[in-house]
Amino acid sequence: MSAKVAVLVFPGTNSETETVRICRDVGLDARAVRWSYAESLPSYDAYVLPGGFAYEDRIRAGAIPAHDPMMDAVIEGAQRGKLVLGICNGAQILLEAGLVPGTGPVRKPTAAFTRNAPVPRFVCRHVHVKLAVEPSRCAITAALEREALIPAWAAHGEGRLAASDEHLAEIAAAGHLAFVYAHADGTVDERAVPNGSALGCAGLTNKAGNVLAIMPHPERDAWEFNHPDLRSAENVLAPSGGAMLFASFAEALKDA
Amino acid sequence: MAYPSFPVIGVSDRDLGSAAARSGLALRVDELRRIAERLGRDPSRVEVRAFDAQWSEHCSYKSSRNLLGRLPTDGPNVMQGPGEDAGILHLGEWNGERYGVVIAHESHNHPSQVVPFEGAATGVGGIVRDVLCMGAEVIAVADALRLGRTERADSHQRYVARSVVNGIAAYGNAIGVPNLAGDVYFDERFDENCLVNVVALGLVKERDVIHSCAPPNAEGWEIVLVGKATDASGFGGAAFSSVRLDEGDEEANRGAVQVPDPFLKNVIMRASYRVFEYLRERKLAVGFKDLGAGGIMGCSAELCGSGGFGAIVDLGRVSAAIQGMRPEVLAVGETQERLCWVLPPEVTPAVLRIYNEEFSLPEIARGAGAVSIGTVTREKRYVLLDGGESVMDVPIELLVGTIRDELPVPVVREPAAVDPQRRWTAGERAVGELFERILSHRDVCSREALYREYDGVVRGTTVMPRGYADGGAIAPIPGSPLGVALSVDGNPRYGRLDARRAAEFAVVESVRNVAAVGARPLGLTDCLNFGDPRNPEHYAELVAAIDGLAVAARELGLAYVSGNVSLYNEAKNGNAVPASPIVACVGALADVAKVATLAFKRPGSALYFIGEVQNAIGGSVLAEVLGVRGAPLPDIAYGRVRGELESLARAIDAGLVLAAHDISDGGLATAIAEMAFAAEAQLGRTLGAQLDDPSAWTGGAVGNLEALFGEAGGFVVEVADAAAFDRSCAGVPFVRAIGTTIAQPAIAIGAERFDLARLHEAWSRPLAEVYP
Repeated sequence: MSAKVAVLVFPGTNSETETVRICRDVGLDARAVRWSYAESLPSYDAYVLPGGFAYEDRIRAGAIPAHDPMMDAVIEGAQRGKLVLGICNGAQILLEAGLVPGTGPVRKPTAAFTRNAPVPRFVCRHVHVKLAVEPSRCAITAALEREALIPAWAAHGEGRLAASDEHLAEIAAAGHLAFVYAHADGTVDERAVPNGSALGCAGLTNKAGNVLAIMPHPERDAWEFNHPDLRSAENVLAPSGGAMLFASFAEALKDA
Repeated sequence: MAYPSFPVIGVSDRDLGSAAARSGLALRVDELRRIAERLGRDPSRVEVRAFDAQWSEHCSYKSSRNLLGRLPTDGPNVMQGPGEDAGILHLGEWNGERYGVVIAHESHNHPSQVVPFEGAATGVGGIVRDVLCMGAEVIAVADALRLGRTERADSHQRYVARSVVNGIAAYGNAIGVPNLAGDVYFDERFDENCLVNVVALGLVKERDVIHSCAPPNAEGWEIVLVGKATDASGFGGAAFSSVRLDEGDEEANRGAVQVPDPFLKNVIMRASYRVFEYLRERKLAVGFKDLGAGGIMGCSAELCGSGGFGAIVDLGRVSAAIQGMRPEVLAVGETQERLCWVLPPEVTPAVLRIYNEEFSLPEIARGAGAVSIGTVTREKRYVLLDGGESVMDVPIELLVGTIRDELPVPVVREPAAVDPQRRWTAGERAVGELFERILSHRDVCSREALYREYDGVVRGTTVMPRGYADGGAIAPIPGSPLGVALSVDGNPRYGRLDARRAAEFAVVESVRNVAAVGARPLGLTDCLNFGDPRNPEHYAELVAAIDGLAVAARELGLAYVSGNVSLYNEAKNGNAVPASPIVACVGALADVAKVATLAFKRPGSALYFIGEVQNAIGGSVLAEVLGVRGAPLPDIAYGRVRGELESLARAIDAGLVLAAHDISDGGLATAIAEMAFAAEAQLGRTLGAQLDDPSAWTGGAVGNLEALFGEAGGFVVEVADAAAFDRSCAGVPFVRAIGTTIAQPAIAIGAERFDLARLHEAWSRPLAEVYP
């Protein structure tokens, strides 16, 4: 029996189809669950919050959906150790819900993914993210190699990690900084960061390591046909690249 | 009829004309008289607004319909030709199903000039609904922009240029449809009238197509309105797009522009996909159509009229955003985010439940939802009720039937023959002086700063995002290697000089772009952006362009399945925009693994030029940079164009091509530079090129500048196995080896060497200033 994964659909979510597809391609029993069916959520083993513009990004991206009844089930599940993966808008929601970095009370965020800098503009750019903690620090990354480099697409207007100096220090010191932006060769510098994110942050995990929020979209560079040079591909439809994060997620759910 | 009338009978021409102008009607005096004559009475105020919308150029194509008949619209790839909200091309078969690519192409020019963010955003919103209502899943959008001079930071033109891009991005990104293709040109003749053309693609199985028409058994069926609450926005929109911008006052023009709500649309699209599923399970043929020009009235009348029926619609059932709206505003206002179904009464409750409960539209936006507003009738009249009283009652054919307002067709002169001997550059300039200037030209420089605001990869189906290949490509069917390629083209520098040739080049260019990705061209759409057709010069340009579109498509064996005509695009002084026939080409990839990208792949591979150089540099960036006037446009020899396409397709299919790039703005040298830039940016590979001196591969037939920067077109290809490629192209006269790729960051032409970083700086900087 593969684990049952709910891919949450809020009004305004737009990436549920490909997120469900890559979860299924790595062996998970994933389905999209829309806001009208929030009561079914507790029966799932894990949750994925996909990209989009839930509730139109009103106030701040993620601020309103963090208070949606669907998040009651996600918060409760996360507190009981269920795995939760948020991508892009989903990551923003997890921060607004206070689940990551999780250094404050629920729904009292201590950090946010906010307006890109220096230019507050939406940016769609191919990036790489590098695992910046020990793989086992976060259950969802546990099956990745050390310093794993994952291709993904940044596609957001609000992806810059912002927090007080004190909270940023805590994020860095307590191993919350799961992913940083990197170049294709794994080197890390400011040019690799598409949005001015503090600490070069691309992804955060919580203290228990069962919740992961990642800004760029690994599911959009997750099949061979998504890669720019296809000549080496044996099966153009095979999951690869960004799929490795979902494969690690599936690995962690093996016993669920 | 109790509702107040618009007096026509017995009113003098002068008074009628000024009454029409005061009311902001685009209808002419003779048209108002024709309406009153056919009705046998004065039209009501609702009726006159209804005819104003339906008889506008925007809805009726009254002065272009006869010309559009010249375009080829049928062929083996055509699943659905023009006539509905979108056309459909046969993509291929997968798992025993025939799949179609739905395509629609429209302009939103005037709205984008007046309120650029909303105008451009609603352009995307409208074109997406055109595709959705064919029963399709929306899989891509594209945009072709023609903008004014943006050099000055505080200019209105720069504001328009930025806001249009913001609007397209805000809408497409939010609904989750990738922006796959497009182009942009800048010209002072777009200063006061920008062009915003949008294209949308959809995917549908042939047996699942829904038509924009009440089916044959629809008598007594319900008319169901879905979407946003009707408000006063977009009142007079159809007529507004059919006059010159200076004719209305600015405030009224603003009011004619609609307000986008991509958030609501995101939910409506997903709810509609669920309705499609529900109806397919029941194998029901129904009607579905987007509300565009003419609002509720236009959409319901066209749905029912095209099925040979009439309709009764009760405005009292329409969800109105504000109280006390006049019936004419409710009936013809163009509030966005609305669609209309014709459904058998037994399924209506279930469909309403999907929209209103499963997808909770009333909670998503105030007053939004699905509601039954009327009935399909056998009697062929269009009747609107308000408060139990009839406010409109007209023969439906008079409203939506063909109307013509044909102008005498001018004789189009054949383009002047090109003198193949004459050289326009006299070879007096060195290549070195020009290379950077051409790369930094506004029509050549990198577009990345613009399109990186567009989400090009949502849905996870993208194979080639913008900038990676000449056309965009996606793999839209889960689990299938079938791919769709798309390109949108049209060169206003050519349009300024020769409308017919510009149209032909638009077709050839879009086909080449799709071919350069490795796709088989399937079919075309066209959007004709011109000035006032009552100006004989503008009208002659329109006629010439349509002839050009027809010739090019026939020569290349392709048909137009959809299109749009946008006239009255001109400045206050009557100067029209350059003739702008803009063409989209859809291609099919049998296997996305064979897709070709434009980035150089490795050092030491052979570079070939497929094509022919010409001395004719008219309309080229080279001519503009040199200040050359009077040079003819390049000649198009279709036999050669077909041969080029075939040679390339054969080589790509055989796996011989490492990279392919079409030659267009800025010529062959620009194409080579772009292939090197892409290698660095996309693959992290530092690669350059060593080209032989052009005289070695032109045989001296043209000058070096013409060879390097001329825009007669063709392809540059990078080839791994030169011997195999030579065999593949044996006997083809227009394939020539021109050099090799090198591992150094330089483009060397003969003995001259250009530093790639400097070239890249020239190419990447200009638009980054406009789009920081």
